[in-house]
Amino acid sequence: MPTPETLPRHELIGLPVRVADATHDGYVGLGGRVVDETTRTLAVDGSGTGVRQVPKAAATFEFRLPGTGDDAPAHGARGADQFVTVAGERLVARPARRTEHRGDSIWR
Amino acid sequence: MDASDRTIATERIRRLQELAREAVRADRPDRARRYVRLARRVAERHRLTLPHRFRRFTCDRCDAYLVPGRNARVRTREGHVVVTCDCGEHARYPYD
Repeated sequence: MPTPETLPRHELIGLPVRVADATHDGYVGLGGRVVDETTRTLAVDGSGTGVRQVPKAAATFEFRLPGTGDDAPAHGARGADQFVTVAGERLVARPARRTEHRGDSIWR
Repeated sequence: MDASDRTIATERIRRLQELAREAVRADRPDRARRYVRLARRVAERHRLTLPHRFRRFTCDRCDAYLVPGRNARVRTREGHVVVTCDCGEHARYPYD
């Protein structure tokens, strides 16, 4: 399952997300579930607002990762959800290629 | 590429499979098709074999995620099972 470290290379579709910051005010605060991904955009399905296409490069996203069992306080209980903030620029890549990028290479 | 890339890819495929099934159940076959195609692409790029269940319950012709009773028919015949997609494609699998 995605962890904060692997998130930029993991599957984003299905995750709850919120646009924390963007170069255009209209995108800021948009939230919902990611339903589709293209090279440069994420499609976010917000309840009531319909599906909005958000450019990755222009935004900072805050993903919510469901808590795993690892840090659970009591047996059987789920750990707290984690919020991971990612600069959208790091996500600009074709969906299937993203897993291959490590993001630390100095080569283009 | 190393082992951790493969792990992430395997998890992505499994996740996309779940999402595709949910999408079909939620009457969004178009979305499910997108997820199936993406999962296939991820497997291809990482040279992974798709899970058995994924191979059997996706349409080779139209990439639909097949949910029997919803968009697929499963019929047992002599020596094989026939899975028919709504698009008309048949897939036959031996019993073994």
